[in-house]
Amino acid sequence: MKHSVLAAFRHGITPRLLSWLGVFLVGVSAFLYGALAEGAPRTDADRVYALAQNFGCPVCDGQSVAESDSVVARNIRAQIARRVDQGRSNDAIIAELETAFPGNDYTPGATGLSSLVWILPVVASVAGLSGLFFVFLRWQRETQSIATPVDEKLVTEWLSDATTTTAPTGATEPGDV
Amino acid sequence: MSNATLGTLLVTLGAVSALCGVVLGVFALFGWRVNFWRACTLLVGAMMAAALGAVLVMERALITRDFTVAFVAQNGSSRTPPLFNVATLWSALEGSILLWTLVLCGYVLAVVVKFNSRRHDPMMAPVMLTLFVVCAFFFLVMVGPAQPFIAFDPLPLPNGQPFDGPGPNPLLQNHILMAFHPPILYLGYVGFTVPFAFAMAALVTGRVGEGWLLATRRWTVMAWGFLTSGVILGAWWSYETLGWGGYWGWDPVENVSLLPWLTGTAFIHSVMVQERRPMLRVWNLSLVIATFSLTILGTFITRSGALESVHAFVESGIGPWFLAFFALIVAVSLALIVWRGDVLRSPGRIDSPLSREGAFLLNNVVFAVFAFVVLLGTIFPLIVEAVNGSRLSVGSPYFERMTMPIGFVLLFLMAVAPVLPWRKASSGVLSRRLIWPAWLGVAAILLSVLLGARGAAPLLAFGLGGFAGGAALRQLVLSTRRAGLRGLIGRTNGGMIVHLGVVLVAVALAASNSYVRQETFELSTGDTAELAGHTFTFVGTDLVEYENRVERQAGVRVDGGQVYAPAIAVYDFAGRLIGIPSVRSTLTDDVALSIANLSDDGQTVSLRVTVQPLVVWLWIGGLVMAVGTLLAIIPGSRRTSLMAGAVPHGVVQTPLEQPLNR
Repeated sequence: MKHSVLAAFRHGITPRLLSWLGVFLVGVSAFLYGALAEGAPRTDADRVYALAQNFGCPVCDGQSVAESDSVVARNIRAQIARRVDQGRSNDAIIAELETAFPGNDYTPGATGLSSLVWILPVVASVAGLSGLFFVFLRWQRETQSIATPVDEKLVTEWLSDATTTTAPTGATEPGDV
Repeated sequence: MSNATLGTLLVTLGAVSALCGVVLGVFALFGWRVNFWRACTLLVGAMMAAALGAVLVMERALITRDFTVAFVAQNGSSRTPPLFNVATLWSALEGSILLWTLVLCGYVLAVVVKFNSRRHDPMMAPVMLTLFVVCAFFFLVMVGPAQPFIAFDPLPLPNGQPFDGPGPNPLLQNHILMAFHPPILYLGYVGFTVPFAFAMAALVTGRVGEGWLLATRRWTVMAWGFLTSGVILGAWWSYETLGWGGYWGWDPVENVSLLPWLTGTAFIHSVMVQERRPMLRVWNLSLVIATFSLTILGTFITRSGALESVHAFVESGIGPWFLAFFALIVAVSLALIVWRGDVLRSPGRIDSPLSREGAFLLNNVVFAVFAFVVLLGTIFPLIVEAVNGSRLSVGSPYFERMTMPIGFVLLFLMAVAPVLPWRKASSGVLSRRLIWPAWLGVAAILLSVLLGARGAAPLLAFGLGGFAGGAALRQLVLSTRRAGLRGLIGRTNGGMIVHLGVVLVAVALAASNSYVRQETFELSTGDTAELAGHTFTFVGTDLVEYENRVERQAGVRVDGGQVYAPAIAVYDFAGRLIGIPSVRSTLTDDVALSIANLSDDGQTVSLRVTVQPLVVWLWIGGLVMAVGTLLAIIPGSRRTSLMAGAVPHGVVQTPLEQPLNR
């Protein structure tokens, strides 16, 4: 065992690499355990609250059914509680409410015009990240095309001088271990 | 002279001064600068005196209950407590515009004082012109659709009693935060006018280098700090007052306060790239312009009633004015950017994506997408209604689903960016600098799991929070080792303290949203209910009379200890019933109690109980962010050397690009 660890060190597995392996193993294990394990059981009240949060109060300005204390909101909360008691699914309950009070479901549909509210941010993200990717690519090419062999030689010489005298900016800092 | 007449005269004086300033600025722009600065100083002094005088006159009218002023008759009352009497100024449209104008004039006066030594700089003419235009707009709004000093004839009431007003909206006079949240928010909103003015001046003069950034750096950070504090105080007020157990409902008014914060945060980061490398000029100008114009758009949305909002306390006809001003800002800014296209081409480039500037660039794209998501979700109902006339709601499920992954990416970048060196990082450097923050992230996940936390999203948030917090702590430890307590000040170190505050806020958001429990109990006197490990015993009701309201309080003993008293308040003159929640805050969780219904005989109560973990850390995180901002404004060692004459590494300066406020 001792020999194999030493051999691993000789082949480039440093204590830091082992530490990163530890981070990965412990972090992923703890995360997976916490993410997949059963939490505290959700009660019917929790379901009612979650559903009420996702539906707008039809007679209030900008308040959900969960937030409002108007009579209409209270009645809708009671209706949600009854439906939960009857064992209806979340989708069925919201669909019934949306039929009775159109335009108050806080989750826009994924079809038709309302689907744009879901699609456009994804398009914007892809466009932004692609733009960034191509800009970096262009800069890389420009850097490569600008540097001549003479430049590279000068940089290499400067770097070798710098490591013997002073460290290049940002490469190290006090306290780096 | 009556308050109404005096106030009208002062507002008119301010408007005339601002318009004279606009004319002066235009002349100065075309080269006529004889006594320009002296005239500017006089006009700004006149505007400030007018705005301050008008505010004082209005406060006098409110405090003395001078109902001959229509604003006081509509919003004041002899029963309003003194503190809220003062705060009534910003509880309604006309007064809030007056306060906004005072804050604006204060900033303009500060610019005149601060840049007095640079008064001969040609850049100052367009700066002052921009500031005068913004001031003129707000004064004209007060002369036009939002006049604060309209005269009123207060006839006695039908029962022979002297006239009395209804007082401000009841929701705006039952919590002390109402006295602080709007002014601080305005200090943030309005503060972005200064960097905006310098950005416009940079475009007009063609001096689009780094000079204007350095000149306005601290102004931007200060405005950002105020905006941050204002937004968090608003969430706190909402939590303590509205009684639904939440603090952020993705309401349009809340969203429009977040929009300039997002673009402002992106700007604060991208500015550092332009200071190091002469690049991102168009991007930085666009961010400043977007931040300022979003404050105007936000005011339009808040005041016009275009969108339904629980916070829309004041709706009026000023919407078209703000929409037109917003359109003007965007049109002029775009025209100037197109006009200056040739000098805006940035000569710099980033050597490697794995560098601090590379991380900042990614951070900016993510913030831009975040702002786009919030803006789109906020105005989408308007778009749908305009296109096909149908009604659609976009609420918290949409915003939470879309912004959660963005939040994770930002937390990750907060961990990695501070340890990245400028220019280029090697994997060895990264590995060395990130190992302890990574272990802190793992420890956060482990601890959370051991404490019973479950679910992928909150655990990821806690882990990334620990990772980002570790990176910020690492930087602070290194800098305090080098410089002692001075290692806590300056932009970088203050920024790391802000990061720690953001981590606290992020963890609190994740925990309180993921593990919230709410239930409504029907309780008779002596009954006990239980939720999330807490017990609630209804001990009876009480009737308490205050100056401005009568409260029916329900006594609820929490966990067998102290009795808390959520109430239903009756503001009889306003004819409104409102719920007043009662919150027990501890470092581990909050218990919020509010009354959904109370029987006439007071024997049964319908009690809504909300239990949320770690909510108090939201406010602590906000405080840490405010302290970090203050420390970031104080010049650090690097800034001190700058002031002594050193040129920052990587900044290429020409005579025209010299910073204005060394």
